[in-house]
Amino acid sequence: MAELRARSLAVVLCAADPAALDALVAPGHGARMLRTARDEALFVAPPDVAPQVGREVADRIAAMDDDAVTLDVSDGWAAWDLTGDDAAHAFSYLSQLDAPIEGAFVQGDVAHVAAKVLGTPSGLIMLVPAYWRAHVRERAVRDASAREVLSP
Amino acid sequence: MGTLRFEGKFVEVHDGDTIASALFRHGIRTFNRSLKSHRRRGLYCGTGDCANCLVTVDGLPGERACVTPARDGADVIRETGWPSTERDALAINDKLHWAMPVGFYYKMFVRPRWLWELAEQVIRRATGTGTLPVSARAEPKRTRYVRVDVLVIGGGVAGLAAASTAEGRVLLADEGMIAAGVSDTGTRVAIDRLAAQARAAGVEILERHTATGIYAGLSVPLVGPQEMVEVECRRVVVATGALEAHGVFSGNDLPGVWLARGAARMAAIHGVAPGERAVVVANTTQGAACAQTLREAGVDVVEVTGRVLEARGSKQVSSVSVLTPEGRRAYSCDALVLSLGWAPRDSLLRMSPDADVFGAGDVLWPGCGLQDAETSGRAAARGERLEPRLGDPWPILEEDGYVCVCEDVRVHDLEAAWDEGWTSSEILKRYTTATMGPCQGALCSRHLAAFTESKGAVPNAQGRTTARPPVRAPRLEDLIGGIHEVIERRTALHDLHVAADARMDHSGVWMRPGHYGDVDEEIRAVRERVSIMDVSTLGKFLVGGRDARALLDWTLPLEVGAIEPGRTRYLLALDEAGYVMDDGLLAALGDGTYYLTSTSGGADRMEASLRDWADRLELHVHLVNQTAQLGAINVAGPNARDLLAELSHDDLSRTAIPYPGHADITVAGVPCRAIAVGFVGELSYELHHPRGRSGDLWTALLEAGRTWDIRPHGLDALDVLRLEKGHFFLAQDTMPDDHPAKLGLDWAVTMRKPAFVGKMALERMAGLPLARKLVGLRFDGTPQRGAPLTVDGAIVGRVTSCARSAAVGHPIGLGWIRTVDGEFPAALRAGGPTASVVATPFYDPSGVKPRG
Repeated sequence: MAELRARSLAVVLCAADPAALDALVAPGHGARMLRTARDEALFVAPPDVAPQVGREVADRIAAMDDDAVTLDVSDGWAAWDLTGDDAAHAFSYLSQLDAPIEGAFVQGDVAHVAAKVLGTPSGLIMLVPAYWRAHVRERAVRDASAREVLSP
Repeated sequence: MGTLRFEGKFVEVHDGDTIASALFRHGIRTFNRSLKSHRRRGLYCGTGDCANCLVTVDGLPGERACVTPARDGADVIRETGWPSTERDALAINDKLHWAMPVGFYYKMFVRPRWLWELAEQVIRRATGTGTLPVSARAEPKRTRYVRVDVLVIGGGVAGLAAASTAEGRVLLADEGMIAAGVSDTGTRVAIDRLAAQARAAGVEILERHTATGIYAGLSVPLVGPQEMVEVECRRVVVATGALEAHGVFSGNDLPGVWLARGAARMAAIHGVAPGERAVVVANTTQGAACAQTLREAGVDVVEVTGRVLEARGSKQVSSVSVLTPEGRRAYSCDALVLSLGWAPRDSLLRMSPDADVFGAGDVLWPGCGLQDAETSGRAAARGERLEPRLGDPWPILEEDGYVCVCEDVRVHDLEAAWDEGWTSSEILKRYTTATMGPCQGALCSRHLAAFTESKGAVPNAQGRTTARPPVRAPRLEDLIGGIHEVIERRTALHDLHVAADARMDHSGVWMRPGHYGDVDEEIRAVRERVSIMDVSTLGKFLVGGRDARALLDWTLPLEVGAIEPGRTRYLLALDEAGYVMDDGLLAALGDGTYYLTSTSGGADRMEASLRDWADRLELHVHLVNQTAQLGAINVAGPNARDLLAELSHDDLSRTAIPYPGHADITVAGVPCRAIAVGFVGELSYELHHPRGRSGDLWTALLEAGRTWDIRPHGLDALDVLRLEKGHFFLAQDTMPDDHPAKLGLDWAVTMRKPAFVGKMALERMAGLPLARKLVGLRFDGTPQRGAPLTVDGAIVGRVTSCARSAAVGHPIGLGWIRTVDGEFPAALRAGGPTASVVATPFYDPSGVKPRG
């Protein structure tokens, strides 16, 4: 059975020229760069490194786009870990998206709301706007736990 | 054991009963009246394939009695006939075929034109089936997704064999319960064995889930009792079986004429004999088995083979004529049981020419045995495509009889339509409506094809008509499944509101506190002391990039360049037609960056509009939607600044935070953008802050506010407070075609700007007289919101907001009014109360209070 757990993550947003984002060297600190739009990228990292990630991104992007916007938007996102052998199967009860493999990410409809989904070694991370935190948990419990593919 | 209520009478229900078996045991033979002729219709297929037994159960129309379990306490009524199904005066229609020839509604009541409107009402009342329960609210069904490797549709022998063989994630859906209604012992044993295998293999089995179509993808919607399941899969195995062929002969629709499987089920499963003396026309091996089942149930059975020529009777069948190998024979009976051959339930298979859709069992090999069913199921699961075996030849149509029992289409009707020139299956279908009833051609589509072929239609005009979703009649609530599912957004303070006993209301997509127990006290707190409100739902956007000002200058009708850093301006957002799309505030942050707020419900549209224009104009703009990231709390009341001073060391003077203006301050250790606002007409500061700190800030404000007996206020109080200021709620007080002048907001539009979205439309409309506008109203009583505003009895407008205002001292409101003889009326009636048009704001007209 898969497991769903809330987790804390740092999310840094960078809105900049597409060319600047194309050329941007991703920061360290374990941050993953998610190119969410032509002119936007999110950097997902452990929660304690948000300031460092923000600073590095801001510094690097400024050289290529001097009015780029870099913001720590961690408060705007709710993150869930979906782990276990059945993670992809449990995910299929929430979304028509293909569960991303490790290192990949997809964005689209999860539990009828807009989400980013990251493949991890242990399963998936689902990111949704914070105001849908309760909704995603309720839907996962209702749809996946009820089918015994997710531990309640 | 139990009882159901049938048209006011109690009917005994035995364990395992369907509604049909319980009613049949009770002596009910007529379950329905036909669509046009109002002929009696009784139980026929017994498998849920035909529409003869549709009844209303607990107020829900169109339930198939033969497959709906009978529940203790259920309330069942028949749906057709006037004054009753049993004694139907409209049965006279059966003598009026000459007046209602096929397609008569295309030809009659055409002139004069008003005649059709009248006729349509009569026809609608005389036909139709159940009545929609318009007063009952259908619970929206939830929708969920499932992705599997193989979806098997049908839980018979072939389906279960396929499911237990298929590799990967496998889902099996059956519209009934596995093995329910199976009377044959050998079949039952096979199903139990294969079901156990499938479950052991980890197959997920969804019972009472109906596949309504197969779409490219492969995507299959399943309709369940409480949910819609959207299945995406790599392979579909259709194992939906076959039903017995429908017989077309004179009197074929009389109650007492059964398809064999239905009759056998009634006898073997429910212990109810379908008649005392039955003629079983057994042209298949199952027919012979059925005859034996009926004998074991005590029925006097005459087993024959041959063609049924005619069935006679009034309320039900009383005799039949059969052309046997020995010649024409007549039999008296009260049940005619037909086992004429097989008709595959192949609608799903025919609507999906996809390479990854496979048939198995009876749907591919009609009438096949258990071993063949299992073999074909396992082959389909492996992706092996088996050749269909030729089933029974096209059915034979006698000279008379009902081809389509759902739509009352007889052989004569097809003949007449053919003679009129409708000479292909598809247009015969459209003209006669054969195959278009609730069973969607399950019984009659092969007969229609047989007819066109027998008439010599050209090759591409004969054959089966196109199969399309849905294969089963869905409910309206199924069609809207998922659409009306409430997906609520919650602010970070949701749990604190609930803990404070707030009544939480749906406000658009958000959950918001309506009130905390005492609306009047909440209003007094704002007007006399201090109060706080959770306004985190507001749309919040950061607009940066070197073209930010250009974008805002183009999309907003205000002088963006005139806003000094630290100042704020009210904004209207217009669409290209000049209509008000949204409103909010625009704050200049300095460095060419702006912070924009919109209404709670308008945030998504505002973002879409800004991004759309930025793309179209190729502007270098960075737009960040901070709605989810930032919380916002409005601190309002004469003591608002005093409260903030308790929690902040920053300069809170009017110089530091001008009105309208903003400043970044720290309150209770929480970094905030404080925006001086005036929506409720008091000294007010919206504190925009990181969402994760909302709880800390809210709690600190309530704690420090005890000095002034602080109270939080909700939407109910806000509704009165903003009305006292004459402020509208977008959508509640406005119309989709309101331009600024109609709302009295010309002052918010800078027409001297060279260009902005909507300017050209406003210029054109400026030359037109204003025919409608939003006005302030004073009442001598409290009308209902939405009440029409009248002058001399003529409706000239509508009350959009109203409230009894303690601060103003009388009932007030907003409403829109139209001109009367070229002028706007000043005195109106709003139902009982009289209304006077007055200037707004009602409260603090000079506007000094928000300035502190």
